[in-house]
Amino acid sequence: MADIDEDTMELPGAVNGDIDLSDETQDFRFLNVLNFTGGTDVKIPKRGEKDFEPHKTSLQSSTLAASREAMHNALSTPRVHKPKAHQIAVYDPHSNMAHIEHTKGSYTASMGIHKAGKLWLLPEEALHLLERGDLDVRWTVHEDTHEVNDRTHESGGIPMSLQGAYAAFIGMERAEGRRLTLEMYTVYSALKRGGYTVMRSEDWSDTRPPIDTSCAPKNGTSFLLNTWLGRLFFGSSPVPSEGYAVGPLVRPGLYRSYKDIYRLLNIVSTHNPTAPPSFSLPSDIENPFRLTYNVWKPNSNFKKRAPPPPDFRICVIDARNTPVPTLSQLNDLIVTTPYDPPQKDKSLEQSMKHGHRNVVLAVVDQVNGAEREAEDVDVDEDDEPPLLSVYIARRYGELRCNFRVTGINLNRVTPINLGPIHK
Amino acid sequence: MAMDNDTVHLKPNHLASVHQSRNTKHSKRRLHEIYELPLPVVCHPLPALIPHNPLSILRIAYVVVSGLIWPQSSHPSALFRGSLSTITQSVHITDAKAIRALWEKGFFGKGSLSRSDPSWLAREKRRLGLMAAQTSEDNTRARRVERRQMKYERALKEREAIEEQLREEAKKDGSLSSVVDTTGNFACVETATHENVPSEEDISTSSPGKQPGQHVPKIAMNGHDISELPFEPPVRGTVMVPEDIDDEELGLANEEHLQLSLEETFFLVFGLGILEVFPEDKSDPLTAPELFDLCRSLSYYPAASATLLAPDDPFLVKYIVYHHFRSLGWVVRHGNKFSVDFLLYNRGPVFSHAEFAIMILPSYSHPHWRSTVELTAKVDEKERRDWWWFHCINRVQAHVRKTLVLVYVDIPPPSAINIAPGETRNIGSVLKQYRVREFVLRRWLMNRSRD
Repeated sequence: MADIDEDTMELPGAVNGDIDLSDETQDFRFLNVLNFTGGTDVKIPKRGEKDFEPHKTSLQSSTLAASREAMHNALSTPRVHKPKAHQIAVYDPHSNMAHIEHTKGSYTASMGIHKAGKLWLLPEEALHLLERGDLDVRWTVHEDTHEVNDRTHESGGIPMSLQGAYAAFIGMERAEGRRLTLEMYTVYSALKRGGYTVMRSEDWSDTRPPIDTSCAPKNGTSFLLNTWLGRLFFGSSPVPSEGYAVGPLVRPGLYRSYKDIYRLLNIVSTHNPTAPPSFSLPSDIENPFRLTYNVWKPNSNFKKRAPPPPDFRICVIDARNTPVPTLSQLNDLIVTTPYDPPQKDKSLEQSMKHGHRNVVLAVVDQVNGAEREAEDVDVDEDDEPPLLSVYIARRYGELRCNFRVTGINLNRVTPINLGPIHK
Repeated sequence: MAMDNDTVHLKPNHLASVHQSRNTKHSKRRLHEIYELPLPVVCHPLPALIPHNPLSILRIAYVVVSGLIWPQSSHPSALFRGSLSTITQSVHITDAKAIRALWEKGFFGKGSLSRSDPSWLAREKRRLGLMAAQTSEDNTRARRVERRQMKYERALKEREAIEEQLREEAKKDGSLSSVVDTTGNFACVETATHENVPSEEDISTSSPGKQPGQHVPKIAMNGHDISELPFEPPVRGTVMVPEDIDDEELGLANEEHLQLSLEETFFLVFGLGILEVFPEDKSDPLTAPELFDLCRSLSYYPAASATLLAPDDPFLVKYIVYHHFRSLGWVVRHGNKFSVDFLLYNRGPVFSHAEFAIMILPSYSHPHWRSTVELTAKVDEKERRDWWWFHCINRVQAHVRKTLVLVYVDIPPPSAINIAPGETRNIGSVLKQYRVREFVLRRWLMNRSRD
């Protein structure tokens, strides 16, 4: 009866070393309770504990019923456009965007682009507003066919259904570069619902954005002081070439400090975070590891015209088609983020974990990859494809997982990264 | 349930735990004394130079001069000896002094009969009642017993609350029969005679926790089926110790040895030069290049011949990472039990839990690996890790509160590390061909990143 889960509740700092999950011996005496020889009523013995167990009190069942009732009430409320906030946008098939002439509401502070007296909404923005019930998007009216029926009033087109909106806005951009995918929209709407401000990253359509090569100045002088002066005064012989080839790196002899020993051992080259960054793979339009969205925290003073530096940079990844990044892929992604060294006043451990650059990977696992493939087929605007399955899959099959990746350097001997000293 | 059935109960439980907590402060100080040195090499620092005190210069001069007359060495006077066991892919250290030195100074190896610290002899003595010292295994066991006791009491309390609730509801309904129908397991009178329920004697024999005089709750006395409770009351063993008995009198020999992994062994040989390794059938120690090739061939199963050695040998890639973190001052131990390659301890496992969990990912970014179509396909296969694999690893690390570090090792082309037959390998230059880069990956939770 291993209390495995409880074993891990130990906080760091306990004197007693590691958590061990293995040295449990099996005890089968609990099986004595079972009666295998006769009767159909064999009870399975209980092991472990459950958070919630039915115990047949009417108190429990009435609590459950009340909770269920509350949920049903919330779900059965009809969701309608509020007449005051009702807004009509028109879908533009050429840019795959929607435009509004008279805007209402606060969402304009962080959404859309003002162009020619209209507010143009990006596909994900229009879709998100439509899904929330804040926007009524209309298909455009074809000039050649004047089939204006009862449903189309002042603004012309037929109202776009939710299915139609998914079909139209996702993956249909005609422009060169990237298209909105269902994964991206999943992440976008989740962040929006969480209160964040989300904008497309600056290099949405660039395959090879310019990178900032200006970095912190190197600690040239202190490096010299540490190795050269240090050795002069505190005497440790450098490794002769013979010891370097066949060992030992630390020759028998007298050593004054462990720093010297560690320096002699340090022969594996590692990444220098202060070196100017560079790409390691050729530019590729299919590269999935590119920044997708810039994200600002809910309480930040965001201005659409002059956005502050984003709090997070997110790269959206389709877990079905993209494996864990290789070193080159991760390097090429992380060099597009700004250099962000740890603050000086942090402890060594905190600054090690903080790292130098970071990016958030949003790994989205949609259930039906095959269904999604079919979306790329060109669909005529007035012909709604059967997209219900995609919608259901998104609602029930989505598994989103965000990771924060940080490039780090784990040097606990000295905060200064000592380079290898043997040339 | 790891119970010592042959322990003798002389002290009540709570007394033992009070005694234990009083000792912790003292034993913490002792830990810092025992595990003072980070490596099995001793440094002799010069006395501090105090500018306004001329005496300090004299003191430094004295240390320097006496060092010239009686030369000191940081290395032990005789090398530690280990024998290579190809079956277990490890090196065995049997000398007691060497075992203590390697474990206490840098936490190398593990006891063959212990979890980590080679403490089998101490445990055995304790079991036989010869020694009072607590080994880490004993501490773990005591903790588990305590936790089980807590859970047992909590489960009893919950059960009593439910019974009370049921009784009240039955009163309201006004008929006893309905209670029996609806409660099933919790009924009082009928179930006691049911054949599936063990009688009182069965219970007390099947659960060793029933001690005479222990408080037995009322519901259990009512013929309540105690096996329904998921937790049994535990047994705590406390031993009164007669001190000062010679081990030899009992004929207790240490049957445990220290096992060094191949990476640890090679670090002690090539890096620190304080160990010599003897193969099973030879009396001459292996040189570092011989050991290097042997370890690399042993990292395959079945062991590969030396001609097939590749730049991404499992041993080589792991050793690069091991050496890298050792040279940065970490205590590096194997991470098998958390499904990672290594664990990094700040000072050692006796002081704190491991801070970082290391997962090694070989990386093939050199143009050589993309030179032909077959090679590209092969390398892509080796590099490919899907997200489900990663979720599993990350889940375990998050559960045990470690920071997961992906360590990418850039593999050089074979031409960079191969040598002509007859030539001696330059290990240092081989190791320098590899580049290591670390990334921390951890869950980013939207709801916790708002400020």
